Amino acid sequence: MTVTEEAVRWAARADRASKIYGSGDTEVHALREVSVGFEAGRFTAIMGPSGSGKSTLMHCMAGLDRLTSGSAFIGGTDLGTLNDKQLTKMRREQVGFIFQSFNLVPTLNVRENVTLPSDLGDGKIDMGWVDEVIQTVGLGDRISHRPNELSGGQQQRVAVARALATRPEIVFGDEPTGNLDSKTSAEILEFMRRAVKDLGQTIVMVTHDPVTASYSDRVLFLADGQIVKQMDDPTPDSVLDTIKSLGD
Amino acid sequence: MLKLVVRGIRANLGRLVLTLISVVLGVAFVSGSFVLADSLRSIFDQISEDAFAGVDAQVRAVEPELNSSGENLVRFDESIIDEISALPEVDYAEGGIFAFEQTYSLLDDGEVNRPLGPPVFTSSWGGPSPVSSFTVVEGVAPIGQQVALDSAQANAGGFAVGDQVTMSLPTGEPEQFELSAIIDFGDGGTGGAYFNLFDLDTTQRILDSGDVVDSVVVNGGGTDTDVLLAAIEPLLPADVEVVSGETVIGESQEDFGSVIGIFGNILLSFAFVVLFVSIFIIYNTFAILVGQRTKQLGLLRSIGASGGQIRFMVLIEALIIGIFASIVGLFGGIGVAWLLKLLFSAGGNSFPDGPLEIRLRTVIVVVAVGLFVTLISAIIPAFRASRVSPLEAVRDGGRKERSVSFRLVAGAVVLIPGLVLLALGMFGDVDGTAARLAAIGIGAALTFIGVSMMSALFAGRAAGMIGGPVEATRGINGRLARDNASRNPQRTAATATALMIGLALITGVAVLASSLLATFDDLLEDALTADLFVYEANQGLDFSSGVVEQLDALPSTDSVAGFARVEMLVDGDVEAVTGFDTATGTSVINAGILDGTAELSQNGIAVFDETADERGWGLGTTVPVEFEDGFVTDLTVEAIYDDRSIVENSFIVDRRLSRQHVQIDAVGFVGITIADGVDAEVARAEVETITDNFAQLTVQDNTEFQEGVEGQIGQIQIVINGLLVLCLVVAFFGIINTMALSVLERTREIGLLRAVGMTRNQLKSTIRWEAVIVSIFGALLGILMGLLLGWAAVVAIPDSFISKVGIPWLSLVIYLIVGGIIGVIAAYFPAQRASKLNVLDAISHS
Repeated sequence: MTVTEEAVRWAARADRASKIYGSGDTEVHALREVSVGFEAGRFTAIMGPSGSGKSTLMHCMAGLDRLTSGSAFIGGTDLGTLNDKQLTKMRREQVGFIFQSFNLVPTLNVRENVTLPSDLGDGKIDMGWVDEVIQTVGLGDRISHRPNELSGGQQQRVAVARALATRPEIVFGDEPTGNLDSKTSAEILEFMRRAVKDLGQTIVMVTHDPVTASYSDRVLFLADGQIVKQMDDPTPDSVLDTIKSLGD
Repeated sequence: MLKLVVRGIRANLGRLVLTLISVVLGVAFVSGSFVLADSLRSIFDQISEDAFAGVDAQVRAVEPELNSSGENLVRFDESIIDEISALPEVDYAEGGIFAFEQTYSLLDDGEVNRPLGPPVFTSSWGGPSPVSSFTVVEGVAPIGQQVALDSAQANAGGFAVGDQVTMSLPTGEPEQFELSAIIDFGDGGTGGAYFNLFDLDTTQRILDSGDVVDSVVVNGGGTDTDVLLAAIEPLLPADVEVVSGETVIGESQEDFGSVIGIFGNILLSFAFVVLFVSIFIIYNTFAILVGQRTKQLGLLRSIGASGGQIRFMVLIEALIIGIFASIVGLFGGIGVAWLLKLLFSAGGNSFPDGPLEIRLRTVIVVVAVGLFVTLISAIIPAFRASRVSPLEAVRDGGRKERSVSFRLVAGAVVLIPGLVLLALGMFGDVDGTAARLAAIGIGAALTFIGVSMMSALFAGRAAGMIGGPVEATRGINGRLARDNASRNPQRTAATATALMIGLALITGVAVLASSLLATFDDLLEDALTADLFVYEANQGLDFSSGVVEQLDALPSTDSVAGFARVEMLVDGDVEAVTGFDTATGTSVINAGILDGTAELSQNGIAVFDETADERGWGLGTTVPVEFEDGFVTDLTVEAIYDDRSIVENSFIVDRRLSRQHVQIDAVGFVGITIADGVDAEVARAEVETITDNFAQLTVQDNTEFQEGVEGQIGQIQIVINGLLVLCLVVAFFGIINTMALSVLERTREIGLLRAVGMTRNQLKSTIRWEAVIVSIFGALLGILMGLLLGWAAVVAIPDSFISKVGIPWLSLVIYLIVGGIIGVIAAYFPAQRASKLNVLDAISHS
């Protein structure tokens, strides 16, 4: 079966997205007319050296930052047309986040952290699903623990659970395993991959680690604010090779 | 080292400026109190010097042991004037007579023209002379049916020289006087007092004093003062003395000075309360700043800074802030004093102008106080900083908190002596109200500190409880607010303390006021049985006793009884005695006669039961007494009474006796019962036909009397609260400061919340409710403490003044709401700032 252009559903996409920081002599072009789409139900990794624009791309796609020109869409919504309040609502309902560290509100317990985005809104959430997610990340017995009672890996798992709890259109991860050892890292990434495969979740993560990137379905390579290469079904070696070739 | 300190201050400038404000407020208050009092003192010193400039000597009565005439001086025969004038050493001599609150000018509508507060003086005046205390603004000295008024009074009444002015007189028959001159006391400025000047004969006639004077002022025309005094001395009868002009000036300055001193001390004590409150705010800021810099301090330690150096650094930082705050406060206070002086002067031309007096003492005290307050607040944080280990540089967060038992013990060490002092003040065997109040004051300060220390133990739980309803109604915002308010109990406790103290004092005052009212209500119910009261409502001054006879003669009145305060020697001791119309008095008041008859004979005395017990007196005991005119007699105890709330004194004699032996036959209060079958309105109208002739008198029935007292208590409360509000202002800045620091500390958390979908408004709401919870905690503690303090004070104050505890429930609710509102307003800027944070910057904040 061939996948036609029409049949692809974009969870998020960017259209000639540019981001310029500063002005005049200090002008920095973080993104230069990037056009990219993140297919629903796929796991995408964004790679690139420091200053390549990978984080900027993710932040603008996630509605945390605004483009200088061009458009970013989540589902069918142009983020540029939303005011701050609407953008916040969008992040709350349509986007999940996993940061590198400090993902959790220290005064809330595991379950409360997971339901936080929904509590900030109308509070309507499928509690069965929430419990399932928490069970799946293996924190069923820690449901009323506070973040300071959890290990770093457990905290990231809570973050993953929170990102999935609202069944968002798309989940963004900013070096989600950057602070973890390789074993814990592998667990988390495996779980993220399962979320994509089994639950049909869309995930985009920024990373600089080839092994991490290898868990994704597709890797985008950025340099100087532009997408310079794409790779499907990456392995650590193929990613490393590509980085090397780009570096030359 | 110093460079680090300066950098540290610069980095935290915003926060330190907020801290500064609380020190500056207190310091400015101190500085302003000093400057204002000093300036007033020097102005009034100048007035005294001007007023008595040409007076080389003054002849006057020796201050007697007994004086029932209040402010009025003892009078002596005027024949001495001629004798003194005849002396070759004397160039000019003028005899004068003076009276306190006896005559008043009337406005066109018949209302009395008088200042609110300052007194009205009646005096004789011989016109411009070397010894005159008055300067003529316009016109000539009054003769016969003429009067001279001070310029403030003339302005207030719209009187011009040549006008006919109706004057209310102690005779009860107002008369018309031609305004012959407008004058000023000294070179202008009477401190708000009014002066009514007549010639000597007219003054004597008005006061019905006979041919007496109370002073002769003498100008020697260059004669040496000692020679002048020596020449006058032999002419003087017994009990009359001559003093030099310098003495007169000195005494006058002392009189003014003591009033200004009391005023200054009241301001100062409020200033110290404000400073006390600000100590908690400064402490809290330093504690938080040190906590936030733990990593930096650890780094310094790991590269070789000693604990002592770290401590030194923090203290130097405090010192710099202290110096800065003291200087700003010093000038701020001078500015406030200048403004107040301007305000006084603007209230009419009654207030003299003069330079601001900035003494070296003021500068030294202000700077010392500012430094002391800042340093003492920084000491604990400085020691805590010095104990930061080098390892903290690499460890993440995790402040070490004082153990519960340490806090319990430390808090108890402060709290228990505080409570003991409080108890001692209340129930202890302490002599004198002043000592009692001092014990309560110091006890309260220690109790505040102790409660503040210990409140950290329950602040978290309490904030959680207060936050309960917030969470229930505000959802996740309320939940986060509640958690944030209770996550750092020390901080919550320290922040709440400032508000606690402010509201505790305000509540304490409210409890006192409502207890006073409750006592008064009881008193009206039990002790006062009169239908109408006549008195001078403004200052409670005495008035002519002729009023009593005139009222008694009215057909609509049944019983009319007057009260007079008389000083007598009772069994050898100087005592205040109530001269009372006991024959009619039983229907006017109820003194709680335990034994004997309420109606005393002219040889009888009634004694308060406790006094009778102390002295071992009973019915029939003979008591030797002496009156101020030297009349000696034996009185028999004819009654024992136990309610002196109206009588006020421990002895009662019949006024028929006492009035014969006083210089000025006056009463302070008249109670009236209305004759049977007479309509209250009719009776009142009739009573007013009499009292209208005594412009200063007020006629009130029970309800009005009560309302009047309520109004007076309310006014005093407003003034005190006006000063205490500064404590709330300091507390307000403290909450802003803590909230701002907490927001800064939680920048990443805020970034995260915003990223996962918290709107700006939700964030603001969370911060606002956190501040409200902390404020309500402080307010609740304050109200509880205030109830305790108020109750303690009521117990300490003699029962004759306040005997019943009244709780102002409505006020308490209002204070709680005010506390919440303070939180809402204080949260505004921190919330605004937090909501403006860029989400990405906040998340990556380290």
